[in-house]
Amino acid sequence: MNRKLFALLAVLILASVVLSACGSATPTEAPATAAPTEAPTAAGAAACKPAGTEPIAFPAGGKSVTGAWSQEPDNIVPYYTQMSYAIWITQLTLVGLGEWDDKGAFVPELAADVPTADNGGVSADGLTITWKLKPCLFWSDGEPLTSADVKFTWQSIMDPKNVPLSRVGYDKIASIDTPDDQTVVIKFSELYPGWQTLFTQGPNNSGAILPKHVLDGKTGLEKDPFTHQPTVFSGPFAITEWVAGDHMTLLPNPNFYKGRAKLDQVQIKFVPDPETALAGLKTGDIDWYPDFSESDIPTIKALEPNIHLLVKPGFDFEHYFFNLGTTAGVTLPDGTVVGKSDVDGFCPFKDIRVRKAITLGINRQAIADTLLNGATKVPATQWPNSTWTNASLTPDAYDPTTAAALLDEAGYKVGADGIRAGTCDGKPVKLSFNFETTNKQIRVDAALAAQSDLKKIGIEFKPIHTPAGTFFASYTDGGNMPLGKFDMAGYTTGFYPDPMTGVLDSYSCSAVPSKDSPSGTNNYHICDPKLDDLMKAVNASVDPAVRKTALDAVQKYIFDQYYVVMMYVRANVYGYVDRFVPASFSFTSNMNWNAEDWTVK
Amino acid sequence: MWTYLSRRLIQGIFTLLIITILVFILTRLSADPLAQYATNPNMTAADRQALRERLGLNQPLPVQYLKWLGLALQGELGKSFFSKQPVSLMISQRLPLTLILMVTAQIITVLLALGLGIISAVRQYSITDNIVTSLSFIGFSMPIFFIALGLMLIFAVQFKLWGLPYLPTGADIWSTKDPLQLIRHLVLPVTSLVLIQTAGYARYVRTSILEVLGLDYIRTARAKGLTERSTLYKHALRNAALPFITILGLDIPYLLSGALVTESIYAWPGMGRLFWEYAQRGDFPVVLGVLLIVSAAVVFFSIVTDMVYTLIDPRIRLS
Repeated sequence: MNRKLFALLAVLILASVVLSACGSATPTEAPATAAPTEAPTAAGAAACKPAGTEPIAFPAGGKSVTGAWSQEPDNIVPYYTQMSYAIWITQLTLVGLGEWDDKGAFVPELAADVPTADNGGVSADGLTITWKLKPCLFWSDGEPLTSADVKFTWQSIMDPKNVPLSRVGYDKIASIDTPDDQTVVIKFSELYPGWQTLFTQGPNNSGAILPKHVLDGKTGLEKDPFTHQPTVFSGPFAITEWVAGDHMTLLPNPNFYKGRAKLDQVQIKFVPDPETALAGLKTGDIDWYPDFSESDIPTIKALEPNIHLLVKPGFDFEHYFFNLGTTAGVTLPDGTVVGKSDVDGFCPFKDIRVRKAITLGINRQAIADTLLNGATKVPATQWPNSTWTNASLTPDAYDPTTAAALLDEAGYKVGADGIRAGTCDGKPVKLSFNFETTNKQIRVDAALAAQSDLKKIGIEFKPIHTPAGTFFASYTDGGNMPLGKFDMAGYTTGFYPDPMTGVLDSYSCSAVPSKDSPSGTNNYHICDPKLDDLMKAVNASVDPAVRKTALDAVQKYIFDQYYVVMMYVRANVYGYVDRFVPASFSFTSNMNWNAEDWTVK
Repeated sequence: MWTYLSRRLIQGIFTLLIITILVFILTRLSADPLAQYATNPNMTAADRQALRERLGLNQPLPVQYLKWLGLALQGELGKSFFSKQPVSLMISQRLPLTLILMVTAQIITVLLALGLGIISAVRQYSITDNIVTSLSFIGFSMPIFFIALGLMLIFAVQFKLWGLPYLPTGADIWSTKDPLQLIRHLVLPVTSLVLIQTAGYARYVRTSILEVLGLDYIRTARAKGLTERSTLYKHALRNAALPFITILGLDIPYLLSGALVTESIYAWPGMGRLFWEYAQRGDFPVVLGVLLIVSAAVVFFSIVTDMVYTLIDPRIRLS
């Protein structure tokens, strides 16, 4: 029997070995690149020569670092993915015309300067933006990187045969002219104040310029081999090996516009478990890990001086909000009815005193101090840590006494069961409602803290935790938020790098989801015509000063109306070993923005 | 025999069909593939709607399923919603390493379980039996993440800090082409799996042998003067093996599905991680592709197990 049983197992082993040999766990080596076939045609072309035609090989004893990321990028071309990890790898390998630096300033990358009204880059009517590229730009294979690549990038995004996730902004471009290899003249069909987010590297968007000489003529770019086996690069590094599910190896791009990167090699290992990453940091297997959570802060702090902790609060914020949906909608002065929801929200939330009482009744600072280990703060507005923040606003302090008084004033008295009750629209109602969010541990803990705080002022706050895939489901997939089947809800979001990115889709009357408008994304079900007007004013100019004043008004209005409960700013928590010098972190909490300056001690 | 095989194959096809329908419904109801885009400020409502239509998610569920089934019948498992890569390619990239990990662990587990089970049975209620039984229960009741992380912290982290020869954490970069590196990286995950799995198998072996050892034909064998060794290995073990083989045969397909926790902790790029990462995102072509392969293996190996019965026990005939 044993022999037969073992023979069966032996066959299995043999099969596994054969499969192993056949499987494509084999690294996808970057193919050898050809020498450039033509020289740049710009002025001074004779002086422009690429420094090389392929990535610089790793020398013996070279400087190498290994990072660990919790997830693998699903794609290298950012127009076809929204994964943070895909945007990160793009920052290392495919750059754009500009980016945001560690001070929050918008600075040029492939461009020579940021277009402004003063340098003639922004036309008087704001409809034409002229970019000038740096001279002598080359792809990693030695081919010239020119204005034609920028135009091709736009054309590929707009090509109906390609399926990018979004064409936002790019669809407002009427034409792109390239009078010479260094000049890109973008003409918009309508005012687009967020033009800086196009063809540039942002914290949650990447406008990498694509190589025309490699991709021209191809369609269905979202599934082109280039998305997983890119062959040319414009960033500081080139991907030379990508073992599916395991790791990537990057070597310096000889033609990077700032010159050769300081490191000779960067490797990225995909490590899903933070405990393993921590073990890897301790043993020196990895040099940095960017995916720790706020709860890991004490653990990493204890590992000083061998392992350093870096906490960078970002632009994302956790917020709780009220379902303000109304089946009647809002009637505008011209008689038009807008903002209809399928379901009415929880009636007491229509009263600003109830919304304010809930805001004052949750000890948000205590949640930030304890559950988030003091890594972050309670923000006043939806634009935290940004140059766009309305600095005159400060978050309300925890004040249960005032909260209780507000509820008394609103007619909600504490009953025998400890829960307040009153009337709303003539109907009796108790201040007992559901709060829906995801099942992430920090959210479970924060909701418990809020529940305890609100109970003290006579509010029954009942958390419901669902997996993110269900919680964020769309209207057609039965998501409670778009359907309006919730009382309060909470999640993390952020509006950047342009301050109006996604804002109109979040708060406008026209974006309220309903059976007539199932694709609406106004999860708050807010329809406030005054807020609509204030938001539109921000997008009525390309002048940053004018926009800032208008956005200040938007922030003040939302703040005064207590439409949302701002809970805490999300922080990025990094751990890195002492030998690794990761240069400066960008304003947008991202360490990959200047990978060319990374080095080791 | 052939009638039996044909019948089992037809049953198997229907089983697979039902499994794919159930998995499809569960996957589609448990997560909206576009949920992750819900808070992306760079996507408008129109973008999301367009994406929904492009992925065919706006169609009724039966249509979505039938389209997938039509492709699967032609040998196409479709493309991932997110990586846009063919599911068959993604599986082929992960399957070899999963098999290396799982088959190695399974072989060691089976050998250990046989050894420990036999010793426990032969020396029933002895100190050895009690120790083996106690250790079995400890291993059986331990959560895999506890064992895996514990082994890593001791043999990878602390051993290195103490200056002793140490094993890798799995967070390091290594080449699967290098046999020595492969073996070094297999030690901890395989040990974790063996510690968890051996207990259950050893108990099966022990119980089966104990049942057989009390039967008349064993007494007869002993009465005829056969040595204890010969009685045990030639007569008892052969008959005691049937229930064990049944369990083993049903477990073999799961070698293909990988070990999610072990793979995650040791950063092993296997099928378990592939399945989990894409299931969380509601990427049902990947989820269905992985499950279809595992389900097909379950059906296949259950038939193979039945075949093996006839080889081991001549009394069994398939008809």
